Amino acid sequence: METVSGHASQRKVMKRAQQDTAERAAELLATVAEKRSRAAFSELFSHFAPKLQAYGTRQFGNEQTAMDLVQETMTNVWHKAHLFKPDRGSPSTWIFTIARNIRFDLLRKNKRRKDEISADELWPILSEQNDNLDDDYALDHDVLMQEIKHYYHQLPDAQRIVVEKIYVEGKSQQEVSDSLNIPLGTVKSRTRLALKKLKELIVEHD
Amino acid sequence: MIKAHPSEALLYQYSSGELSCAMSLMVATHIDMCPSCQRVSAEIEQHLCEKHFDEIAAKWDQKQCDDMLAAIFSSESSHPLIHNDPNNMICLQGRRFNLPPTLANNAYRIGDWNHMLGKLWRAPVSIGGVENTNLIYMEPGATVPEHTHKGVEATLVVNGTFSDEYDSYEDGDFIMLDASRKHSPRTVQEDCLTLATLDAPLHFTSGISRLLNPFSSLFFK
Ligand SMILES: [Zn+2]
Repeated sequence: METVSGHASQRKVMKRAQQDTAERAAELLATVAEKRSRAAFSELFSHFAPKLQAYGTRQFGNEQTAMDLVQETMTNVWHKAHLFKPDRGSPSTWIFTIARNIRFDLLRKNKRRKDEISADELWPILSEQNDNLDDDYALDHDVLMQEIKHYYHQLPDAQRIVVEKIYVEGKSQQEVSDSLNIPLGTVKSRTRLALKKLKELIVEHD
Repeated sequence: MIKAHPSEALLYQYSSGELSCAMSLMVATHIDMCPSCQRVSAEIEQHLCEKHFDEIAAKWDQKQCDDMLAAIFSSESSHPLIHNDPNNMICLQGRRFNLPPTLANNAYRIGDWNHMLGKLWRAPVSIGGVENTNLIYMEPGATVPEHTHKGVEATLVVNGTFSDEYDSYEDGDFIMLDASRKHSPRTVQEDCLTLATLDAPLHFTSGISRLLNPFSSLFFK
């Protein structure tokens, strides 16, 4: 695991060159968004496609899947360039997060269950909707409920005492039999009946 | 003020897309609610981008570029799979509450509310994977009996306050407990809505609550 801070010094050296590339890429994205410029997109493509391919190859260990990742990612860049927000981060980070999402879904594609969550639902970076955050997740009203004890006290005394000794005091069934001076078979049947009754009471309220 | 955050390691795994579906949902919902983790995860994404795009990759030749460009230019724009509930709200027995954006996007996955026992309610969140993810609603004065778990229990407070033996937690707090920690969450004056993920049934550890162990699978479905 690498930490973010551990890379601070290395980042400084790289910063200058990155800023130039970032500015250029942001201009190109804006041109793609406004003018649907194929020339601008082709320049972005020749810069990012090899990087995406390298990322995909390392993640999947499979050239074909890596190429699928490149194509799906860059297809989204072509259609969704207007969703890039320069104030939120660099163009390459935006493109990386698109690729990260596609990787997340590609990894699950084959063994995917139909109800499984998709990357768009976790990181809706390609959603057209504006995120209007409402910070108050408040509830209202109240409802009356009962506690476990309530169920427990609905057991007949004979069963309740046996179950209490076994599950609360941690005694064995033989010890309960000895201390209450009742046959072991009776302890067993009372335990079984009590658990059955408790289960019914709990499930009834489910 | 949020005081319990996911670790930087967990945020790093989340941003890399390495976490399970259940844990991803938990962390994403915490990030919705937490400006500090929003900043950290943006930094991590930038760092991951630098790391993964750093490799000197062989430039593509013109033919290779042109073939894929042609496919891209002739493709249709697709819409991401987002089921956004415009009200961002769900209801429980006459109560209504707002959901943070990630949960709102996944509101269609939230099942019916069930009364568990005592003052506890639960609604399952179906997101695939092996873990169980539920919204848990604790009324004021509710207690979850002291328990441990074989696996990891992650809890996120969506609204309200609950306490356990270690601390008290409020809106946005994210708590991870492993098998070594016993605890019994409870509410006092205020109610509490949490999102919780379990990867194994609870094991109740004290007093009368041991009665529940034969039924602990009821807490895990
Ligand atoms: Zn946080």
